[in-house]
Amino acid sequence: MTSKREEKMKKMFGKPSAESEDYAAVRELFRHHIESFDHFVTAGLETMLNKIKPIEVEESKTARGKLLPFECRQAKLSYTGKFMADVYFKYNDGPAIRENFNFGQLPIMLMSKLCHLRGANPEKLVSCKEESSEMGGYFVLNGLERVVRLVILPKRNYPTSMVRNSFRDRKEGYTDKAVVIRCAREDQSSVTVKLYYLRNDSARLGFWIQGREYLLPVGLVLKALIDTTDHEIYKNLTCCYVEKDESCDVNKYEKGKGNVGTQLVGERAHIILDEVRDFITRRQCLEHIGGHFRPLMRGLEDESDLSVVGEAVLEDYIFVHLDKGFDKFNLLIFMVQKLFSLMDQTSLPDNPDALQNHEVLLPGHLITIYLKEKLEDWLQRAKKLLQDQINNKSKTFDFCSLVNVKKVLDKNPSKHISLAIENMLKTGRLVTQSGLDLQQRAGLTVQAERLNYLRYLSHFRAVHRGASFAGLRTTSVRKLLPESWGFLCPVHTPDGEPCGLLNHMTSTCRITSYFDAQGNIRNFLNIRESILTVLSELQMISSVPKLVQAGPPANLSVLLDGCVVGSISSKVIEKVVAQLRRLKVSASSVIPDDLEVGYVPLSSRGAYPGLYLFTSPSRFVRPIKNISIPSDEGQNIELIGPFEQVFMEIRCPDGRDGGRKDAFPATHEEIHPTGMLSVVASLTPWSDHNQSPRNMYQCQMAKQTMAFSLQALCNRADQKLYHLKTPQSPIVRTSAYKKYCIDEYPTGTNAIVAVLSYTGYDMEDAMILNKSSVDRGMFHGLIYQTETIDLSDQKSRSDRSRKFFRRSNLNKNSSIDSDGLPYVGQTIKPNEELYSIHNEVTNESRSIKHKGSEPVIVDYVAIDGKKLLQKASIRFRHPRNPVIGDKFSSRHGQKGVCSQLWPDIDMPFSGVTGMRPDLIINPHAFPSRMTIAMLLESVAAKGGSLHGKYVDATPFANSKNVNEDTPQQSKTLVDELGEMLKVKGFNYHGTEVMYSGVYGTELTCEIFMGPVYYQRLRHMVSDKYQVRSTGTIDQITHQPIKGRKRGGGIRFGEMERDSMLAHGAAYLLHDRLHTCSDYHIADVCSICGSILTTSFVKPERRVGRAVKGLPPIRASKKVICHACQTSRGMETVAMPYVFKYLAAELAAMNIKLTLQLNNAA
Amino acid sequence: MEGKSYQRLPRVKIREMRDDYMKFELRDTDASVANALRRVMIAEVPTVAIDLVEIEINSSVLNDEFIAHRLGLIPLTSDRAMSMRFSLPFRPNPRRHSKDLLSSDHTVVPVDFSDSAGMESSEQKGIIIVKLRRGQELRLRAIARKGIGKDHAKWSPAATVTFMYEPDIRINEELMDMLTLDEKKAWVESSPTKVFDFDPKTEKVVVVDPEAYTYDDEVIKKAEAMGKPGLVDIIAKEDSFIFTVESTGAVKASQLLLNAIEVLKQKLDAVRLSEDTVEADDQFGELGAHMRGG
Repeated sequence: MTSKREEKMKKMFGKPSAESEDYAAVRELFRHHIESFDHFVTAGLETMLNKIKPIEVEESKTARGKLLPFECRQAKLSYTGKFMADVYFKYNDGPAIRENFNFGQLPIMLMSKLCHLRGANPEKLVSCKEESSEMGGYFVLNGLERVVRLVILPKRNYPTSMVRNSFRDRKEGYTDKAVVIRCAREDQSSVTVKLYYLRNDSARLGFWIQGREYLLPVGLVLKALIDTTDHEIYKNLTCCYVEKDESCDVNKYEKGKGNVGTQLVGERAHIILDEVRDFITRRQCLEHIGGHFRPLMRGLEDESDLSVVGEAVLEDYIFVHLDKGFDKFNLLIFMVQKLFSLMDQTSLPDNPDALQNHEVLLPGHLITIYLKEKLEDWLQRAKKLLQDQINNKSKTFDFCSLVNVKKVLDKNPSKHISLAIENMLKTGRLVTQSGLDLQQRAGLTVQAERLNYLRYLSHFRAVHRGASFAGLRTTSVRKLLPESWGFLCPVHTPDGEPCGLLNHMTSTCRITSYFDAQGNIRNFLNIRESILTVLSELQMISSVPKLVQAGPPANLSVLLDGCVVGSISSKVIEKVVAQLRRLKVSASSVIPDDLEVGYVPLSSRGAYPGLYLFTSPSRFVRPIKNISIPSDEGQNIELIGPFEQVFMEIRCPDGRDGGRKDAFPATHEEIHPTGMLSVVASLTPWSDHNQSPRNMYQCQMAKQTMAFSLQALCNRADQKLYHLKTPQSPIVRTSAYKKYCIDEYPTGTNAIVAVLSYTGYDMEDAMILNKSSVDRGMFHGLIYQTETIDLSDQKSRSDRSRKFFRRSNLNKNSSIDSDGLPYVGQTIKPNEELYSIHNEVTNESRSIKHKGSEPVIVDYVAIDGKKLLQKASIRFRHPRNPVIGDKFSSRHGQKGVCSQLWPDIDMPFSGVTGMRPDLIINPHAFPSRMTIAMLLESVAAKGGSLHGKYVDATPFANSKNVNEDTPQQSKTLVDELGEMLKVKGFNYHGTEVMYSGVYGTELTCEIFMGPVYYQRLRHMVSDKYQVRSTGTIDQITHQPIKGRKRGGGIRFGEMERDSMLAHGAAYLLHDRLHTCSDYHIADVCSICGSILTTSFVKPERRVGRAVKGLPPIRASKKVICHACQTSRGMETVAMPYVFKYLAAELAAMNIKLTLQLNNAA
Repeated sequence: MEGKSYQRLPRVKIREMRDDYMKFELRDTDASVANALRRVMIAEVPTVAIDLVEIEINSSVLNDEFIAHRLGLIPLTSDRAMSMRFSLPFRPNPRRHSKDLLSSDHTVVPVDFSDSAGMESSEQKGIIIVKLRRGQELRLRAIARKGIGKDHAKWSPAATVTFMYEPDIRINEELMDMLTLDEKKAWVESSPTKVFDFDPKTEKVVVVDPEAYTYDDEVIKKAEAMGKPGLVDIIAKEDSFIFTVESTGAVKASQLLLNAIEVLKQKLDAVRLSEDTVEADDQFGELGAHMRGG
């Protein structure tokens, strides 16, 4: 793609300004997207390929001439890299032969390790025609930017107890209780296993194979996993219950506290073992399983040894995150105990809607699992092809010849694999048989709209609960739960349909990844081992020597990433946890800083106790201060997850205890109270002074603001872009504003707002704009629209001829340039020529006209640099200066519509400064909405502008470290602001004496006036107004059509009709519904009463009696009734055309509609 | 009709006058006249501003309309605007600053701000239109036209015109004497602007600057809060006004006032000329008869 202006642009950005701003904070917000993809391309791909059984694969890399992302955007291409993989062939025991296969063009995430822009500084980025603050994290596909949506998944490798009615309906004899675990392999693919409780006190293990659930008795699985005895299983199952008389230890614990087992456990263990009485050895069990599953196991259909099949089932479908049968056995025992405890109501079910039991699906992981499945499919198909070829007796096929094999494999095009990935990212739809253990198959990606920076940024911070919940009628999933405190923003969620389902991460929230803080790939095996050594030093009784240990009240099980690694005595566990946290924070230890130490303490009928450690990626984490560690080391910032947070004592940073009991002293402290807010929410000044829904409205409106959308605007070819021409930096701003560099993309204007009721044009949330302010450029905006025309696409349809852009030689004075494209800077009115196409074969030129109802200005023309000019994108510019009906809003959910552009001289003016307000709003906007922060903002901005400085409006600032504050803390915010005004001779309360602009007399009361940051919203009348008098009508009904684009009308519907009836405005009603709609004069036969049987009879033509200068005499039409064969009874009746249509439709159903005519009316 | 004349002879006293700033008193007239003067100064004194822009080449970062809009807002010296009758062809060739505008008429040039402040550096070249990088180009022809601020704010010669009623402040000395020293000080402090002062020698409160009073009633409220209503009596004089005029530089502030009076006169003449004529009825309808005193 080269552009007409490119040369100049190059020079222009040759040496960008040397200032490289600190984008670290912003970069942090996007990191989880990029890191997950990085992992995918560096390590994930390899581990994934290793997990695919029959082949071994080497490496993937990109090899391509530099195509930069901006070029992809303009040319509507995809930003991809070549995906090569080595496929190993091995014949019997012969040497392995490596053959390189091209798997097509794999989409590359911007700013990932494979991206050309990785590590580029702002200057480099600008020279690559990107934003200087480009963050990446998305894909460019056909010129569109698409982001993978973060979707909530159940927490991996943690057994959750659940109560669901659907479990009961599964089969006869099932209860509604189960323990569910989502096991994730190292390559991110996961398998969910459910342990159901049966009404006969037994349990069944359920897992899915190819879209069907299979259930196995627990005893069978337990016996199949390891060589064991009934006694051992019994002991293991019942270890959580100690009979009272057996030991006096029990009395040491509070009555009932932590007793998860009951005397029923023993009976149940008996039942479980009784069910599988016939199976004694492990081999028997495996053979039994293998016998049932052999037809389902891919590649093992012909296996004769059933126990091998059985083992494969256990390996592939049961607890896939664990390798050893022994670990699986222990985990199953643990789950059975948890299930029993749930049944006996000694522990509560886990809430599947709480963030505590959630993690997130990251883009890299999604691609990994999808790619894995696609590769497996490809191999299966390849195998089938080869098999067919060998079996085909008619041809001789030399299997040993690699060339032949490759030839066969070519029938199974390998390039489709990358294409599948690209399509998945384009459409967000998974095309899969197995479902990949995901809840949803569609809506996985969204377009990253650059309407403004905040909206763009929110796409990367949004977390969706899952598409399957959107249709649910219950509202429990949408609830704001305390578990999500600090991780998901309580303010930033849309209202309406996706409310509570589409959440946004708080500004401090991060997602754990495969990379540590230094950017090195983590070795989870080492991490786990080191954690284990630390734990065994800390008095953990390891589970490796197979000993039966006492259960929960005395000892707590320790699970590390879903593996029962041992147990710790409940007496020392608190110390162990504290020590783990200390190690976690210290830099020298091997324990990662984002280890989740989920210590669930003993409780009476609370959550099932235990120590759950998680090191896995894609967990939520957030930083808080650990105050139990002396802070002098400077390393007291700990990353905690939602699972552990629930059981921690975290206090507010106001220095007080928050009503905590002495028995539970706070061990941690929030860093800043604004950590609970998302980026967008934390930009609202003093949001702690607003009524909460107003803050929510602001979050939505900030995302639909017409703002300074992009800095590299000249290199963009977005479908539609809104751009504010004259933005300002807000005077009143929060600390987040600077931190996230919002000054790069400001969203509004500091307008002088007067709160008064003037002229009546500010009623009901309307607002008056000062015409002179608008004249001087306030809220001036633009809409950019890009049209991309690719003539090579159009070719294939009908004719083979090639078409390209060229102006026809005939009309040289047209508004089109000689290359067939419009001039840059030219205004094109509706129905004027836009571009012209030349057909090579017919040698004809055709000019295409500009559609649309308003004139546009050609902003930019980009062409494809090939020989023939076949592809071009033209960017148009629509000026959008404020007019009556445009929508504006302050940053406090106070939106309004411009009702008048009022002349400056008629505006009230301040006697002292002579200032006329830019904007007038009605005082009635405040009492019911209680947006106190807007009043504060007005006063503060006034003070700030008088003193020439920005005012910090960070919410909850007064609840941060009150102790350390200066002694004059009694001063309230209002006092501080009022003092600023008073110093400069203004009224303490922000009011001013004003004079009527019309009469010059003093207004009876003082007017509250000051600058407020106003945003212009993207809803503009010019894009919405609809006008019609006559126009296109519907083919069938002859009524006006709908739709603004097609020049349709607005429906005058039932409710409007009702109001007309209520007013008795019968004539108007008739006018709307009949005269202006489908007025029709029908011929009716009064004899048979039919309107359908009329037919015209052509009278004999009277030849040429036409007098010169007079219109020819029109032959009078004669209408007869076809049924009655006469024209005697023909009458004309005015009726809606649809009535005639109704009669026709009824006739089609053999219903006759007859009219009886009379003159009685 | 013929009886008593209500004619008054307003007086103007100029307090302070600079090129772009003026403060004057207007006495012996009505709020309507004062406001009319203000309104005319803002919206109806004609100036010259760039209105039609023909862009030949523009490879700058700003788009054509934006540059045209910015050019329009540059104040041009329009001393002759009052006498102009036609639009003026104006051929500037701007590069970056308003000083780069070349005019075909030496009486109409961009306003020069550099000398007024005095301290500005030599690099100051006026109002920036657009910043160009090497290789970027902007060539255009612009036509400046006479117009008034009512039409578009770019033709408004006044940055700010405001007036206030002259206050008449009377301190009730009897009540004042009943206050303690601290109370007096507190009362003086209660006004955000320095209207009153406390004289430590005589221990009396004096009015130092009545015009600093903004009619915010703070001192009255304070007096009421101290239990001394009527401590001070402030009335706005109905017939005297203090005007503050700030000019954009297109017209000198003093000239702006004169021009405004001229425009106002012309408007009145238009009414007077059409007195008793049919035109008045055409023009004003029923109002015409009303204006004639009918």
